[in-house]
Amino acid sequence: MNRAVCVGVCLCVAAVVSASAAEPKSKPASVRVEFTDITLANGLRVQLVEDHGAPVIAVNVAYDVGSRNERAGRTGFAHLFEHMMFKGSANVGDGEHFYQVFSNGGSMNGTTNSDLTLYFETLPANQLELALYLEADRMRSLEITQAKLDNQRHAVQEERRLRVDNQPYGVADEHFDELFYSNFAYQHSTIGSMEDLNAASVADVAQFFKTYYAPNNAVLSVVGDFKPNEALALIKRYFEDIPRQSEPPAVDLSEPEQKAERRETMTDALARATQVQIAYKTPVGNAPDIYALRVLSSVLQQGDSSRLYQTLNKEKELIVSIGGFVDERIGPGGLYIGATVRPGKKAEDVEAAIYAEIEKLQQQPIAEWELEKAKNTTRFGYMQSIRSAGSRATQLGTLTVKFNDPGLINTRVAGFEAVTRADVQRVAKQYLQAKNRTVIVTNPAPRAAAAPGA
Amino acid sequence: MYILSRVLGFVLLAWTGLCAAQQPSLTESPAPDSLQGVQLKGKAPVNPQTLRVVLPKAQEATLSNGLRVALLEDHKIPTFSLQLLLTGGGLDDPADQRGVAMVTASLLREGTTARTSRQIAEQLATLGGFFSASASPSSGETSISMGGLSDKADQILAIAADVVRNPAFPDAELAKYKSRFLSQLQQQRATPAFVAQEEFMRAVYGTHPGSFVVPQENVLRALTRADLASYHKAHYMPNNGIVLAYGDFKLGDLVQKLERAFGDWPKGQARTISLPALTPPGKSRVLLVDRPGSVQTSLWLGGLGIERRSDDYFAVLVMNHILGGGPASRLFVNLREKKGYTYGVYSVFNGSRFPGVMLASMDVRTDVTDPALQDLAAELRRMGSEPVPEDELKNAKRALIGGFALSLDSPQTLISNLATQKIYNLPPDYWDAYPQRVEAITAADVQRVAKKYYDAGKLQIVAVGDGAAVKQVLEKYGTVETPAAAAAGVP
Repeated sequence: MNRAVCVGVCLCVAAVVSASAAEPKSKPASVRVEFTDITLANGLRVQLVEDHGAPVIAVNVAYDVGSRNERAGRTGFAHLFEHMMFKGSANVGDGEHFYQVFSNGGSMNGTTNSDLTLYFETLPANQLELALYLEADRMRSLEITQAKLDNQRHAVQEERRLRVDNQPYGVADEHFDELFYSNFAYQHSTIGSMEDLNAASVADVAQFFKTYYAPNNAVLSVVGDFKPNEALALIKRYFEDIPRQSEPPAVDLSEPEQKAERRETMTDALARATQVQIAYKTPVGNAPDIYALRVLSSVLQQGDSSRLYQTLNKEKELIVSIGGFVDERIGPGGLYIGATVRPGKKAEDVEAAIYAEIEKLQQQPIAEWELEKAKNTTRFGYMQSIRSAGSRATQLGTLTVKFNDPGLINTRVAGFEAVTRADVQRVAKQYLQAKNRTVIVTNPAPRAAAAPGA
Repeated sequence: MYILSRVLGFVLLAWTGLCAAQQPSLTESPAPDSLQGVQLKGKAPVNPQTLRVVLPKAQEATLSNGLRVALLEDHKIPTFSLQLLLTGGGLDDPADQRGVAMVTASLLREGTTARTSRQIAEQLATLGGFFSASASPSSGETSISMGGLSDKADQILAIAADVVRNPAFPDAELAKYKSRFLSQLQQQRATPAFVAQEEFMRAVYGTHPGSFVVPQENVLRALTRADLASYHKAHYMPNNGIVLAYGDFKLGDLVQKLERAFGDWPKGQARTISLPALTPPGKSRVLLVDRPGSVQTSLWLGGLGIERRSDDYFAVLVMNHILGGGPASRLFVNLREKKGYTYGVYSVFNGSRFPGVMLASMDVRTDVTDPALQDLAAELRRMGSEPVPEDELKNAKRALIGGFALSLDSPQTLISNLATQKIYNLPPDYWDAYPQRVEAITAADVQRVAKKYYDAGKLQIVAVGDGAAVKQVLEKYGTVETPAAAAAGVP
């Protein structure tokens, strides 16, 4: 079977047995993503997943660069650069990349975060060559001009206004990392400051391209309906003679040990309710404790069965919404909790109730059903995350750049299955300490006398 | 991110069907004049053929109590997803209780005759299952979704059936829900997009239920347990619904599982919806919601569109794609890529049992509100005043038809298309014939519907922004009204 996603035999059998038969209790159905992983002569890492389940192909190019690689005075650069990648190269016109993808029934985007930059497209299977050509041409020969830079600087500044400056809590969200991290690499925002965006020059862009957008700093992941030998031949034709560059400088992402709680109070003219943001420092994204921390986060704050939802929202009616996640980065991450306070309730009561729930996690093991919830929810989420060709391509590239371990796409579920109630209690004690915490409380600015028209 | 997904959750393009005729390669010609922000060099190896795909057919069955079932088998991963659609939705709310369908759906999982709210949440979560139900005040159906790992299907369906069939609507939970909902609403009204949407819908629909993004606060506060129970009794019955499912099942298995969970759900009197009258907006209006200090202006321009079954559907589909249906459209290419006014500008349309809206929207920095609005208005005018160039029309059709291949990697899309066909009673071969219907659209069709639906004389213009900075700009388009209702919703 050439299917990339192979459902285990046990499940196929179960499906034809009469549904009234007892369901096998022992082992969950196994699903694997089979992929090949080679490196071309110029250092480009190439991963292929053959899957004839649907007539589509998905291409993901992951570059090992993010805002962590920026220096002071040039924040926002990695993301601004992402926009420049759509402005044309030697054989592809300005805007032609997305125009060709969308005009042929495909979809595409690019995305930048602190750790990496991704470019991806999904197209009907007969457009594989188009997708590879478009990606190769911009890796080889991006055209950088002042006019194009100014144009995308504007688009990015509008993106910043839309996401940060004109949204309630946008500024507080951006400020959080500045307080949470001590190391500049993660301390500054990915979108960057207006001032730095204005300062970016054509020379900066050209140097950034040469340093980071080299084949030896990228991972090409292709998933879908193709013959691997044909796909590989096309990949070699278009990518293999793109010259290798010297290795980019390494970035130190380490954080000094936090010794005391960090706390700030902000005001926000666009907000209408108080927001409480809390995060605890957690280890690097592929550390063994991440599994137990994610189970903990699921028990604490995932969905309406979670402890924080039941206590703070349903029982005490202190908040409008609550939730969070474990941020898995190349470097140190965090366990984030965010809550919006109900009108008339106090932020300090919300905080106290959250800390009381955390203390319970430290004092007693979680319930059996809570562990089962975390495992089943994770397994279901994992299944959904490998459903589409695009998502598999993106995951392979991401795991490779972040942890140099694309195999995690198959081994992570087992990591969660192994977590015990004692593990969860241990990581609660180890990481969820007050001195390891950062808190920002954002209050609405006092409303001026009735606004015009009010 | 290079592009942002659209502001509205509308279903815009339907990516399904059989693919049609061969198209010539587009790479030989430069971009049309109407797309000044894109440059085509003609060297990228575009495959000139539009991929032909065959749509999978859903298998159908009917339970003994009349509940219809359609299944798309999907054995790729061991999961399942199931949507129960019940005719009625918010459109069947009593006229003085717009919102009762929504609250009924929201309260389902807050307690049954056998389980408390907390037990439902914990039991579903333990299985890794999901369950949600919704029915906006303008919807024609209550939509209930459930699913999870297929080896837990029996247990998940048992809980779901209890929740759908035996909700208790406890008073205490209803009170908590109202308080939760109203404080969330206050939050939503701090975001410009939500304020713009509410104002735009009011401008287009007046008192018709299409105007309600959310129920009115006084109506919501007044709803009682008896109101919900009465709505539930009248609408939640097997012969008023259809189950659309995909996942790792055979039809026979699914039917057995559903018979166990829903088989003894008694029939009732199925509903037909009688729609209230809709008075289209008479003339163009300009509405400004002041948001002092706003660094951007959110602009929504448009009006009343078409019903889902309209004869103009395919012409509007193609027209919308050319105008602002994605990044390869005039609005994006010219206003963002060429001018850099905005991060994103798109046009959208929707339509259901009653005419939907058709509109273009963007968020632009305050100081370019004037030229950006001029350009947007000019693009709307041009769609109606000039025929679309042949290449541009071809590209739009190619995009719409080519995208069908992608739907085959997305069972959600296939199921959503099936839902459309069932709800609006479209022909069984509707999606198979879709590419041919797209192919048949001419430049004259596109121009005609643009002129008809983006008629400048009826254009509704909504702006959310810094009034002191943009009021004068807006006055060029008519008398600027400052709606009182919306003022409560902004800081």
